Amino acid sequence: MNYFIQIIVSGLTFGAMYALAAVGLALVWGAFNMLNMSHGIIMTLGAYFALLWAEYMGMPLVLAAPFALVCGAVVGVIAYFISAHWMLKQKNFEVTIIIATFGLGMALEAGLLKFLRELFRTAPYSQPLSLGAKSFMVADVPVSYQRLVVWAGAIVLIVLVGLFLSRTTAGRAVRAVAQNRDAARLVGVPVRRIYVMVLALGSGLAAVSGIMLSSFKDVHPLMGGDPMLKAFIVIVLAGLGNITGALYAALLVGMVEAAVKVLIADKYGFAAILILVILALIWKPAGIFGRSTVARQ
Amino acid sequence: MKRRDYIIFALLLGIAIAYPWLHPPRYLIASALLMFCYATVVSQWNLVFGMAGIFSLAQVAIFALGAYITAMLGRYLDWSLWYTFPLAGLGGVFFSLLIGVACLRLRGIYVALLTLAVSQVMFVLIQTDSMCSSLNKVLNPATCVSLTGGAQGLGSFGSFGWRSVLGGRDWIIGDYYTMLALLVVGLVVAFVISHSRIGLAFKALRDNEELARSRGISQFKYQLLVFALSAFLTAVAGGFYAAHFGAVGTDMISFPLLLFIISMLVVGGIGRLWGPLLGAFLLMAADEVFKEVSDWRNVGLGVVVLLFMVFLPEGLAGAIEKGWQRIERLFGRRETLGQAARSDDKASSESGD
Repeated sequence: MNYFIQIIVSGLTFGAMYALAAVGLALVWGAFNMLNMSHGIIMTLGAYFALLWAEYMGMPLVLAAPFALVCGAVVGVIAYFISAHWMLKQKNFEVTIIIATFGLGMALEAGLLKFLRELFRTAPYSQPLSLGAKSFMVADVPVSYQRLVVWAGAIVLIVLVGLFLSRTTAGRAVRAVAQNRDAARLVGVPVRRIYVMVLALGSGLAAVSGIMLSSFKDVHPLMGGDPMLKAFIVIVLAGLGNITGALYAALLVGMVEAAVKVLIADKYGFAAILILVILALIWKPAGIFGRSTVARQ
Repeated sequence: MKRRDYIIFALLLGIAIAYPWLHPPRYLIASALLMFCYATVVSQWNLVFGMAGIFSLAQVAIFALGAYITAMLGRYLDWSLWYTFPLAGLGGVFFSLLIGVACLRLRGIYVALLTLAVSQVMFVLIQTDSMCSSLNKVLNPATCVSLTGGAQGLGSFGSFGWRSVLGGRDWIIGDYYTMLALLVVGLVVAFVISHSRIGLAFKALRDNEELARSRGISQFKYQLLVFALSAFLTAVAGGFYAAHFGAVGTDMISFPLLLFIISMLVVGGIGRLWGPLLGAFLLMAADEVFKEVSDWRNVGLGVVVLLFMVFLPEGLAGAIEKGWQRIERLFGRRETLGQAARSDDKASSESGD
């Protein structure tokens, strides 16, 4: 019973963080088939932006997360204009953009390391937004207040994204572009502006997800790589571009990872979900929530 | 391949054979032979990605697998490494066939994601391998390290054996020629395959899958074939890498090496005959330059990859080819006119959004 509660608690936490990161990735893929390999470094940067705001600028702690969200969005826009913008007409855009953003992410990560090594320190910082280990008990299992904040934050942001996509004109335009780019352009949707907007939104969400991650571990220059791969796994499981599917898949991945970590061993958590996605890709190539097709184009 | 290409090949081979006789500094010989090793891997990757159009990221994992097979056979069974290389190659082929079967129903981006996941599983499993398995306790009673060496890597399993033949100073020249031989075999194999009927089938499937299949080209057969063919020499190159360095570790499957090797392909030119060689040479040269400012190495590599993908997605070999055609057109040589017109057609059909 204790194990069960432990799995649920940490599974929900992993799930909430992966969901935020994965929704951003799924939105960007849905809008213009860009798989953003620099997503992970944007998560890391988000955690550093919060740190910068709270520790070095001494600004109110409450606004650190919104500040990181805005900065993340700006990084997303910059990333668009130095990579995707010039590449949209390439024949193999889907493949070349992966390599390009891979390079961009690598350069940003190495640059961040260099910058921190010279001006600050590369050792981990503790996240100022973290509430520490204060916790309450649920049937003998300690649940930290930090987890509650993460759950609440993830739910609020995802509901906001959902409302944005379903209720606002801009959100409808995003969905129109995702459904059919040419038809959207024909009825006057400024397609390229939508691309920028979607990348900004996805990167902003990634930044917030980075803060959440660092509130359990620490802020570290290399912290983003692992969760980015997990966000990829989530959107592949869900079927690329399927946003509601990504939410369920994030919870599933979080639960499986938590279960393996609690019941077997910590180190097999990542391997277990990687094997999960390999099996899913082989047996259900359209994603577990996708329609079945013979091959994925 | 025209006569021009044969001449370039002979010239480069001559330079490579003569190079050690010029008594260059030792570290340059070491980088050159490392370049040969990477160029072999890239030339085989070029078959999968450039010729068959399958964006597989598993090549680095196959390379590492070959190295680990060599290292483990050498260490635990005390085999001479020369016997382990064919086994490493076969192991790579088997592993690659499994991946190929798994990828059969996937296209484009999904292949990349699946193969990335496979290599990550391998990385994580080796990195966290800290068990003293019972088998290992028998083989290694004194120092119980984990079977794969875990995060520390694996060492002391032998070498090519040139040290006993050529002595403690010149053994590296033996390693140099061994790698060079591997690269020559790799380039010849890549060339022969891409100009055979098999190569034509790969290209047909890449350019228009439906048409190719309706003409009776089996996607199943040729996809598995390209995965198997490209894996053998990649895994052997991994074995050679292990034999040269005398150590293997998880950095062989890590992201930085993947980026480094993919940059060679991208900078050289995906799907071009001379792309792998050009890319490996330029990236190794850039690496030597960036070594002076080692902090900037990955920043520089990342930016180079980004810039090439944005501005020169066909790589340097592609750009040189185009420039050459333009020069030939300027001088109005008749036999190239048709070619130039064809490349114009291609360019205009590509520019549609």
